This record gives sequence, C-alpha cells and structure tokens, in this order.
Amino acid sequence: MTDGPLIVQSDKTLLLDIDHPLSTECRRAIAPFAELERSPEHIHTYRLTPLGLWNARAAGHDAEQVIDTLIKYSRYAVPHSILIDVAETMSRYGRLRLEADPVHGLILVTTDTAVLEEVIRARKIVPLLGARIDAQTIAVLPSQRGQIKQSLLRLGWPAEDFAGYVDGQAHAIDLVQSDWKIRPYQELAAEGFWHGGSGVVVLPCGAGKTIVGAAAMAHAKATTLILVTNTIAARQWREELLKRTTLNEDEIGEYSGAKKEIRPVTIATYQVMTKKKNGVYAHLDLFDSYDWGLIIYDEVHLLPAPIFRFTADIQSRRRLGLTATLVREDGMEGEVFSLIGPKRFDVPWKEIESQGYIAPAECIEVRVNLTENERLMYATAEPENRYRTCATTRTKRDVVEALVEKHKGEQILVIGQYIDQLDELSEALGVPLIKGDTPIKEREVLFNKFRTGEVTCLVVSKVANFSIDLPDATIAIQVSGAFGSRQEEAQRLGRILRPKSDGRSAKFYSVISRDTIDQDFAQNRQRFLAEQGYSYKIIDADDVFQGKI
Amino acid sequence: MRSFSDYLRSVDDAALLELFSKRPDLVIPVPPDVASLAVRACSPPSLARAIDSLNHWQFQVLEAAAALNEPFSTKSVAALTDKSSASTLNYLISIGLIYPSNDGMRLPSQLRDVLGIEPAGLGPASMVKLKLVELDDAPVDAKRALERLIWGPPRGSVGDIKNPGPGVAWLLERKFLVPLDQRTVILPREVALHCRGGKIHKENFINAPQLTGAVRDEKQINLASIANISTVLRWVEELLNFWAQEPADALRAGGLGVRDLKIIANHLGVDESCTAFITELAYLTSLISIDSDDRIMPSNKFDIWLMQTPAERWRVLASAWLITSRASGLVGRAEAKNVAALGPELDRVNAARVRSLTLSILKENPGAAPDSASFNSLLAWRAPVRRNSSMQEELASWSLREAEWLGITGQGALSKYGLTFLDGGDTTLINDDLPKTVDHILIQSDNTAIAPGPLEHEVSQQLAIMADIESRGGATVYRFSEATIRRALDHGKTGDEIKAFLIRTSKTPMPQPLEYLIADVAKKHGKLRVGNTACFLRCEDTALIAQIMNDKKVEILALRRIAPEVIISNHEAVDVMRVLREAGYLPAAESANGLILTGTRSSRAQTKPRPPRIVGEIEIPNIDMLNTAIRAIRTGEKSSHKQAHLRQVANEALGALPRTTANETMDLVNKYILEEKSLSIGYADNNGAVTHRIIDPIRVSAGALIARDHATGEVQSFRIPRITGVAAL
Repeated sequence: MTDGPLIVQSDKTLLLDIDHPLSTECRRAIAPFAELERSPEHIHTYRLTPLGLWNARAAGHDAEQVIDTLIKYSRYAVPHSILIDVAETMSRYGRLRLEADPVHGLILVTTDTAVLEEVIRARKIVPLLGARIDAQTIAVLPSQRGQIKQSLLRLGWPAEDFAGYVDGQAHAIDLVQSDWKIRPYQELAAEGFWHGGSGVVVLPCGAGKTIVGAAAMAHAKATTLILVTNTIAARQWREELLKRTTLNEDEIGEYSGAKKEIRPVTIATYQVMTKKKNGVYAHLDLFDSYDWGLIIYDEVHLLPAPIFRFTADIQSRRRLGLTATLVREDGMEGEVFSLIGPKRFDVPWKEIESQGYIAPAECIEVRVNLTENERLMYATAEPENRYRTCATTRTKRDVVEALVEKHKGEQILVIGQYIDQLDELSEALGVPLIKGDTPIKEREVLFNKFRTGEVTCLVVSKVANFSIDLPDATIAIQVSGAFGSRQEEAQRLGRILRPKSDGRSAKFYSVISRDTIDQDFAQNRQRFLAEQGYSYKIIDADDVFQGKI
Repeated sequence: MRSFSDYLRSVDDAALLELFSKRPDLVIPVPPDVASLAVRACSPPSLARAIDSLNHWQFQVLEAAAALNEPFSTKSVAALTDKSSASTLNYLISIGLIYPSNDGMRLPSQLRDVLGIEPAGLGPASMVKLKLVELDDAPVDAKRALERLIWGPPRGSVGDIKNPGPGVAWLLERKFLVPLDQRTVILPREVALHCRGGKIHKENFINAPQLTGAVRDEKQINLASIANISTVLRWVEELLNFWAQEPADALRAGGLGVRDLKIIANHLGVDESCTAFITELAYLTSLISIDSDDRIMPSNKFDIWLMQTPAERWRVLASAWLITSRASGLVGRAEAKNVAALGPELDRVNAARVRSLTLSILKENPGAAPDSASFNSLLAWRAPVRRNSSMQEELASWSLREAEWLGITGQGALSKYGLTFLDGGDTTLINDDLPKTVDHILIQSDNTAIAPGPLEHEVSQQLAIMADIESRGGATVYRFSEATIRRALDHGKTGDEIKAFLIRTSKTPMPQPLEYLIADVAKKHGKLRVGNTACFLRCEDTALIAQIMNDKKVEILALRRIAPEVIISNHEAVDVMRVLREAGYLPAAESANGLILTGTRSSRAQTKPRPPRIVGEIEIPNIDMLNTAIRAIRTGEKSSHKQAHLRQVANEALGALPRTTANETMDLVNKYILEEKSLSIGYADNNGAVTHRIIDPIRVSAGALIARDHATGEVQSFRIPRITGVAAL
C-alpha cells in the first residue's frame, strides 16, 4: 500500500483526494485519459470510459502509460480487471484507420484482418463500403466518412481518421490583441483543437469560448462557418469577431431568419439550418456554398439532431465544438465524439475561477413557505401541472421583490420559465421583460441599456438562457426553470460569471417552494454545479424579509 | 508366472505405502486382505482412476506396454517409445498399472479393457507370420490405403470384401489387412508398427510443455491479491446483508432465479458469473440456508462468521471452494440455460481435481500469470485422458478466474497468501496486510460522502442505512438522498441522531444542503402513521364511543381511541364482539381491508443449513492412516490364509464343490485366465441350486466370467456372484 492521492474503484471511477500534496501532479497525469465527472470540495471523481481512453490514444498515449500512472498514484492496489480492461479498450483504437488513397479515394485499413472481417459484416456498415482492395484494405464511399466513423464507434472499434482535412478557401484572419490579451487556457484550448484536427473544447460559461473560436480561426486562416443557437448570439459573435480579429464588417455575414448573407465568415443559426420547406431542409446548401476551412459549433450540447446528420457528411472539414457542459440530457455524447470529434480541452470551473478569469459566485437557495391556500392548491393540482403550480406561487413574488430591493443598484437578471409569472413579476417590479415574442430590435435596445447601466434590472424568459452577453450582471434570481435540467442551471449561472471590474463575487439566487417537487427538481438541477464545486447555501424566505443575509 | 495378488504379497511396506498414497481409493475402506486389495486394484473404476492421474508421457508408455504381448521387457517398451521410458515404467509399477512377474512385465488383468481394445490406435496382433519387408515394395494404391489406417483407428470400411480395390486386394492377399466382416477390414498390429517406423507414437511427449505468459513482480502480485481478498470478503458480506433484508425465493426446481441473480449482480456491481460464484461461496460455507418455505437467507453461521478476523473469514471461504465439486462457472452459460446458482445441477465429478491440478500448476510456476493457450496445453499434458475431458479446459479457466476473485492469486499469479493457504500454513498475515480500516468519512456538498478506505464495520453498517452506495472499491462513495434519509428514519433513527452521527464521523464540516435535507425529511417523517391492530370499532355517534371508552365492563379489551369515531383493540374481532355484547352493546361485524406492516427485517433461517455434498475426489489419507491400513491388511491376510487352508482341508475331506470367498474367486479366476488352466467351479442357478462345472476361463468382463464349458463345449458367461468356489484342476 502506498500513500497516493488516487483511489481506483472497481466500477472504473477514480477518486482524487485534492487535499493530498501530490493531487495537482496526479490530476495532470490522469487528465488525458479520465473524464472529470464531478469536482466538489474534497474528492474529485474521474471516470475511465472507452471514449476517454480512446481520446488518450488519439493524443498519443498508450495503455502502458495509463496503467503506470494508475499504479503510481493509486493508494490501494488497482483492481486487476481494470488494468486488463484499459489495455483491451485502448488496443481497440487504431486497429482500423481511415486513410486517403490516391487511387481508391477513402479507404479503411486495418492491422488486424479479423477485426476488419468482423466489422465489414455488420449490417450497418455494409452499405457504406466500396470494393475490397486487399485483405487489409477496403474502400469506403467518401460521402460516408462520418457515417462509418459513427457506426464503427458503436461497434466498439473506433477508427482513427487519417484522411486529413481540406484546407478550404484561404482567408486571412488574425487576432488583434491591442487592448486585450488572449488567456493562457484559451490559447491552450485553441492549440489543443488545432493539433487534434477536430474536436470539442469544454469551458465554463463566461470563460471566453468566443475567443477560443477566434483563435481557432486565426490558426485555420480560412473561410469559416459558425453555427450558433439564435440570432442574438449570432450578433454577439459578430461583434466579438470584429473586436478581436482583423475581420471587417464586409467579411462577416449573418445567415438567419432575417438575413441571408453568405460571406467568407458566415454565422448561421441552428434554427434556420433545421428549417424545413415542403419537407426538405431548405438551407442545407449553405454547407456546400463555400469551400469552408473550418466549421464552429457553438453550444454543442444543444446541437439538434438534424445538424448531426449534416455534420456526418462534411467530415473532411475541420470542426470545432464549443460548450460549457458535455452533459446532454438526451445522451448523445457518442455522436458528438464521432462526428464533431473527441474532447480536446477541459478544465474544472473552479480552477479558472481561482485564476481570476471567471467571477467567484455564491449560490443561494431561498426556500419560501407556501401559504395554506397554496398548499391546498398544490396538493390538488393535476400531476402535469404540479410543477407549474408550485414554481409560480404568489409568495415567490414577495421574495423576488425583497431580493431586488436588497441588491438595488447592481445589475440584476430575473430568470424564469413561465411567461405569466414573468409578466406579473415585470409588472410588480416595474422593469422590462424580454421573452420569445419580443422583437430582436427591442431586445437589442434593452440589452444595450442594461449594458450601459441605464436599466439595472431585467426579467428574462428562457430565450436568454444562452449566449447573451451581459457584462455586468452580478445578480441572477431564478424563479422557475425547465424542470430538473442541469445544464440550464449551469448556463444561467454562466450569465453572471464574467469577471467583475471590482472583483465582486456574483450571487445566484434560486427561489424554491418548500416541500414541493420544486425542491426535488432544484436538487437535480444543482447537481452539475455542486459537482463542479459550487456549494449551495440554503436560506429561509423570512431571512430575506428580515434582511438577515 | 505369478498373479497380481502374488506380486502384491511380495512387495514391502514402502512399496505399499507408495501405492496407497497414489491410489487412495485402495484403502478407503481398508480391504481385509491382499486378495481383496488386488481385486479392488484391478477393478475397472480403480484402474480408470489411476489412468486418469497419468500425464501424457506416462500414458504413452502405458499404451506402448499394452501394445506388447505379455510378458514384455523394459527394453521392448523402450524400443517402441524412448530410452527414458525405463523410469516411467517404474512409476507405472509403483502405482500398480504394470507389475513385474517372474518371466517379465505384465498388466493387471482388466487394464486392457479399461484402455480399450485398440491402444494407441493399434489393431490386434496378426494370427500368422507376416513378411513385413514386402510392405516396402507395396504398390501405390496399397500404400494409400495403408496410410489411412496406420495411425488409427485401424479399421477401415471397403465397399465389398469380395470385390476390393487393387490396393486393398494386394494387402488382403498378403494378410497385411484382415477382413472383419462384409465391409470392414482391420490392420494387424505388426503392420501398423512397421509402418510407424517401429515406434508407437508419432511424437513422444516426454517433457511438459513450457508455460508462457506474463511474469509478475511479487510485490504487485501480493498487493493485487490482498485487494482481491478484501473485495471477496466485502462481496460476501454485502450479499448476505442484502438477503437478510430481502430474502430471495428459491426456484421450484431448486436454486436462484435469473432475475434474483441479476438483482444481486446489480447490487454488488459485478457481472453475473461473479455473482454466481459469490452466492455459491456463501452456500458452500453454510452462510446461507434455504428455508423450508424456499426462502434463501443468511443462517446463524453468518453472525459467527462476522465475528471472526478477516483471515479466518477468508479461510472459511477458500477452504470450502478448494474441495467443492460444484462448478459455479456453469451458471448462465448460453448452452446451459437452466443451470441455476445454488441449484442441484452444478456438481461435476472432476471439478475439484481440475481445480487442484490448476492450482498445483500455478504453484510450480511462482510469479507466472500464464496465458490461456500455454496453460491449456500444459493441462492437456498433465491430464491427457479425462473422462469428461471436454469440460477440463473450461473447469480450469473457471478455477483460474475464481482463484483471482478469491485472492488466492493476484494479477493471475499465485500470491504468498494463496501459497500459504494451499500449504496449510498460517494465514493470519492477511490481517496485517489488509488495508487499515478508516473510521471517518468525507462529506461533500454534492450530497456524497466518501470513505477513503475500508470502513470500520460499525460505521459502515450505520452508513449503509443512511445512504446508498454509489461506487465500491478501495474506497466507498455514498450518496444521500431523501429516500436514504427516510430509510434511516424508518430504522428508528431520529434526524438529530443522523446529524450527530455524520458530524462525529465526518472529517469535513457538514454541508448545509445535507443538513437541510435531513431536517426536511425528519420533519415530514412520521406525520402519517401506519400500524397493525387486530380489530377496530367504528361509530358515528361519538357519545357512544366515549361511553364505551369509559365502560369498566369492557376494560379487558384494552381499547385505544385513535380518532373521535374510531377505537382499536388488539383482541380478535370475535372476542371483542362477545365482550361488547355481554356488556349490553349491539355491535355488528364489519369486513375490513388489512393493513400490512412494512419495514425491513434482518431475518435468519429457521432450519439447519445443509451445505451441498461433495462429489468425486477422495482425499489423500495421511501417512498414519496408510500405515494402519497396511497393518490391517497384513493381519487379515494371515487369518484368511488360515481359513482358506482350513476350508481346503475340509473340502478335500468331504470331496465337495470348491468353496472360495468372492475376493478369492476373482483373484483365482484372474490368475487362471493368465495361466490358461481349466477350472472346477461351483455355480448357482436361478433357483439357488449349485452345480459343478468344468470350464476353461477366457476373460472377465462386466461382472461375468466368460469361459468355455466342458460339458456343452460352448462359450458361456458365468456371473461372478453366482460362482460359489473355484479350484484348479
């Protein structure tokens, strides 16, 4: 028995004792192959997954290094089955390679004929293959490069893609770092991505993912297609790019419901891309309209299913995915791996916070007591309306009013799910409301006013969940949400994580009805952030009223 | 020439001792005299057992001996095999498969039957003298025909014996092939041997194949082994705790259902074959018992087991595993769908032997984690002719797997703990080497708690009630949730007790959300009450209820008012009605839906555990037992000599039918078959009347003596138990 910082569990989780003197060294050693699952205060949990191990193989680590690392840092004997499993899993990667062949185009090559024989008999693979060239080689239809990678991954034989990327049409793009400086981790992320070819960069909200995108574009120096969640986000990308790079206004186009510009750098929304006209996707041609050298997927955890399908067809183009959480409530992480690429960069939120790049945040759960009347209403509500009933109680309004009053002068966002509740709040607080049907123009005006400080408080619906950039919001008050969605919670917290000029810590309030399913959902929502090391403080609504906090 | 029993009479104690230690079945039970010993040693089951213990080379030498005519010499065996066969022959003599007679070596009479009629694929000896040199000039067709038969089996079929092809005809003509019937020909032994170049086997497997595979560092082996030991102890304990809470139901056909197996596999976080192994371990060691109502639950032995030190606990498990005839690897195989863990179909007669062979191979190769191919070829060399041999490789692979789970091995190689255990040494060093238990946990704000090492028993029992286990291994990760806190409250803890326990046990401060969670659940817990009662009294008239409550005449019912309109009593409804009527009330019976008490119990079986029996191997008796056995046989020998002499004298005096004991009969018959003497026997018919027959014995087969009866001149079979006595003429 050694006294290492790591405990290797038989269910393939790794527990890292971060109070141990070797913990930092150990974290660095295991980060390439283990996925960080949660990072609360004392013990961080990593997991060995096939994807993680294959990522490590892709980055040039071999099984022996992984096993040595585990044994070196492990406090107890490493279960033998895990060592075997690691070696076995890692040996599966790279037995199949996709290569470009001058004669046959795209080919699938193997070092292990038995594996090739196994996979080419799989029902899902057969339609993707061309002629057999020799015992170790078979041609693949070039259009099916993504499909075959996806299917091979499902079979457990991930193919290494050596077929390379098209350079795309060259276009000069450089970063302009006159009044700002790219942060070290952003540079590392961009380089990690560029070195790997394609892949996903995971960074906390507010840690400057846009800049990673810009840096990647500066590496590629080619025409770029950027896919974002909505028009507001598209405009913000555009502004960031104008500010951070050599690109000028004429070089950046917006492809959305409102505008259909195609320029060397085009920013398109998921919505327009997935819009169907007479049963066909009308805007699919965008992918082929330019010889794109780079495609950036913003908020990759929200990538809609049709986009995956298009992505499968453009495997010869470099792809960069950006996200704050790889948690997909629909469990499509495998698709992200095989179609966008492996995870290229990841860093715990708290680490970036400790470097001062995102603001420290305090998470506070405010519990309100329902009145007798409300309790009765809740108890008798139809099951499908129960959450709504308890999430929108009248009592919450008083608490929100008290909180807004308490933080008067600071930039406050009140975020909620249900429009009538938000309408009421907006009226009671006397502040503007931004919701789905607020025209883009008006939204931008309001956001600008908020930025300048003309307006200090906004009530927003879930339209503002993503990609809105409110530099000085310091307080967020959440009154209701999409049930137990963990990533929504993370995204909302992200709204207030931009570092504040005066180093103040942000505050994230969740107003919760006590003893209802609101509370259960809140627990689930908080899991992701708790796992990232944010600890929630619970206070009573009365404490708010009495000004005890 | 002398018989096998004569040979046995002539050997010294040391030789007998060696024989018995290699063939323990010969002294269990101890035979009364040498004649009985010889009969037993020549019986097909005992011979088969002895042959099973041979390695490939020893078996090849035995085959060569069987291919020779008796008597044969050491030299002739060496000529057929290899020079080194001499020492192997000595070994075969020492275990009584060959014996030296005064004219050369001989085989015990029934050995050929056990080996089969065509040893090493050789046919019978030719009846005529053959000119084998002619074979070298045989035509091509003949050579081709020969090639098919040379290495056995020696029988070949032809379309029609009267009209064979030219090659076969050439061979038949020179008697190089002998017709057996209309369609079959057989190759005589001499021809095959000639074509085989005077050797009997294509290849002599004199040396054991090399074992290949990883060589592990001793420290790593022991580390891995100790981890396995602590894991298997944890598995067994968790399994039994689980069944104590929720006993499983045994299938009607016996054993554990697939669904229950899956539930446990899920609970333990291991695969199903490992789960089957763990449940079987608990079964073998009587830690569980299957109740008369077919419920599987821990027995009292579990409580005793828990009191023991880890080393003792482990020894209990490992000892039972070592000798069991049950093969848990059979559970859940696709081809054996219905084989259930704890079921009646897991016994395999050679399971224990293959297991001990597997372990002895590991023992002979310290530090080696053999790969399966080389291990299997060594296994096949060590035990080449198994009855049931198809299972051997599987049984061995299961043994290797199970040895790893048990921690006898670590990383596939025998550990010092395993070695000490197999040598019967003191395994208490396990206690010192197991990871030190920890007495604290680390609670984190995501509602998990981590025990950074094996927890003290007391603490882990408490925590298991309050939290679900999320991850197991060197450390344990617990998760608190509303359900788990409620479970703790159901177990009679109060919210404050839970909090106090966690604060006391945790090294890190208690996170606020958990504190709230406990307080919240505790607050709600118990608002709703559920209880058992024998009957209720219900009346809308609260005045009447009050009257009854105050009525001294019904005090005996110990009534309790639980609501303004409801009273309950713990007496049966009929009794309550009677008392109420006697007191002048007019109650009417009302049917009710019963309320069931839910809650967890830790149950123990009522019946005595019956561990599964052990089939197969006989344990090797110790040296004292063997010496005692030899003394007993020697004494018995003297007295039976005396008795035989007395009978002889009496018989001669009376001129009656020969009378011998059953063992003497077998011994004499075997002897006279070899000597080809005519015998006088007494033979009982169906009605018990004994007649006198004169016969020429031919052979003994399947409990009958095949012999030519002089009276009828026909070959007839005489059932051995009916032979009342034998005498040579």
